[in-house]
Amino acid sequence: MRAQFVLQEIWIGLRRNLTMTVSLVITVAIAMALLGTGLLVKLQVDSSKSYWHDRIEVSVFLCNKTSTNPSCNKTDATDQQKAEIKRDLEGSPVVAQVTYESKEQAFERFKETFSSNPGLLQGTKVGDIPDSFRVRLSDPERVDEITKLLANRAGVDQVVNEKEILDRFFKILNGLQWAAIMIAAIQVIAAVLLVANTVRLSAFNRRRETGIMRLVGASNLYIQLPFILEGAIAGLIGGLFAAILLVGSKIVLIDQLQESLEFTSRLSWTSVTGVIVFSICVGVLLCAVASFLSLRRYLRI
Amino acid sequence: MIHFDNVTKVYRNQNRPALQHVNVSIEKGEFLFLVGPSGSGKSTFLRLILKEERPTQGRVHVAGKDLSRLSNWRVPHLRRRIGCVFQDFRLLPNKNVFENVAFALEVIGKPRRFIAKVVPEVIDLVGLEGKAHRMPHELSGGEQQRVAIARAFVNRPMILLADEPTGNIDPATSIGIMKVLDRINRTGTTVVMATHDAAIVDAFRKRVVELEGGRVVRDQSRGVYGQAY
Repeated sequence: MRAQFVLQEIWIGLRRNLTMTVSLVITVAIAMALLGTGLLVKLQVDSSKSYWHDRIEVSVFLCNKTSTNPSCNKTDATDQQKAEIKRDLEGSPVVAQVTYESKEQAFERFKETFSSNPGLLQGTKVGDIPDSFRVRLSDPERVDEITKLLANRAGVDQVVNEKEILDRFFKILNGLQWAAIMIAAIQVIAAVLLVANTVRLSAFNRRRETGIMRLVGASNLYIQLPFILEGAIAGLIGGLFAAILLVGSKIVLIDQLQESLEFTSRLSWTSVTGVIVFSICVGVLLCAVASFLSLRRYLRI
Repeated sequence: MIHFDNVTKVYRNQNRPALQHVNVSIEKGEFLFLVGPSGSGKSTFLRLILKEERPTQGRVHVAGKDLSRLSNWRVPHLRRRIGCVFQDFRLLPNKNVFENVAFALEVIGKPRRFIAKVVPEVIDLVGLEGKAHRMPHELSGGEQQRVAIARAFVNRPMILLADEPTGNIDPATSIGIMKVLDRINRTGTTVVMATHDAAIVDAFRKRVVELEGGRVVRDQSRGVYGQAY
């Protein structure tokens, strides 16, 4: 096997149908970039999920004068009610930790969180956020037991589960991720068809050469390798463009997402590199296999 | 060297067989003319030797091997021992004479030093001394056919198949081509040549196998083109 001969054949093939090669490179680049973006979003969601899983709290808001819950009767929860609720919560097997947060503490925390938003602060005063118990669960999936425990309890306004809010948010991210992967799948189909066509055209252009090669007894590998590598190289170039797009999407999409949504876990460049390498490998393999299969019908013994 | 054992070939979607019950034995070093009108099965005969087609019935043996038992991945090795020449030369127009001949060795992975040594020898053998760097379109038909013969012979095959090699060439030039084939035959290579050219067959007086409608109607040593009455 002479490398120079094979490389020369590849170069001729890629140059001869340049437009097909370019469209193939673009298709592969977009397909792989979308696939990679889908994977990046998935990685982000998974790591955020496990981060939040440990920190999810159930807030038990207690009655105060502005409560809309009729069982509160527009009065504050009494100290005795509070003590009973605290005792029951601490006695529950699913509860890991209970902290009491008074309305003053809640207001302080609110001021801190929204310090950059003076309009919101002006319209808020102490007491708008009622006294509450912050309950950390040993298993966030078993929140129902807390709800059941405190149902119709005197002094309890409402039980808010943070997990429900987060779940809704993760659902959106999941949707985003699947949308990216679905579009990637469609692009992959287009890429496969394009590879098949490009290689077929290439084989047709060089039917004189391949005919002679067959006749003088060149092995199938020798005849097919330039075509397969031609597809693989187009796949590789597409994969490299996809890598650039992926770095862009990490900076523009994921990092922006992290900042605006205050994700505490950042996606590391290591995992981004992993995704890029994976996408390039998929691109190259995809093109090589597609060329091989389309050649089997064309260059028969 | 080549044995056809009761070979019948029927192409798909055709009722009439291209070859019917053909029995022919060709020994090592023989020169054989395959004659007959168009459609008599000459090309099919050659294609069966190359395993480009499989017989519908019967067996073909080439170089001691039963082709029906030869697995597909071994077929390239069979073809390395058979050279082929065609009526339409089949040269690569963007390669010069040397490169065209060298191509046959390059694609079977021969080292460059070997190619540099062997190719000029063969170019001389077919009578194209000093024309190694000409492009095919700069050569006459006869010279182009010599290049094709050089390419077929450069790997020193045991068998040379020629399908109407003089079909596109004027009679005077054809004699030159025949001399080259004769020279190759004298090196011990078996030559099978399908042809319409009565003058050449009559002049050379070699073994003649005549096909008609897919049947062997004559097998004559030192024969002529037409039936000798």
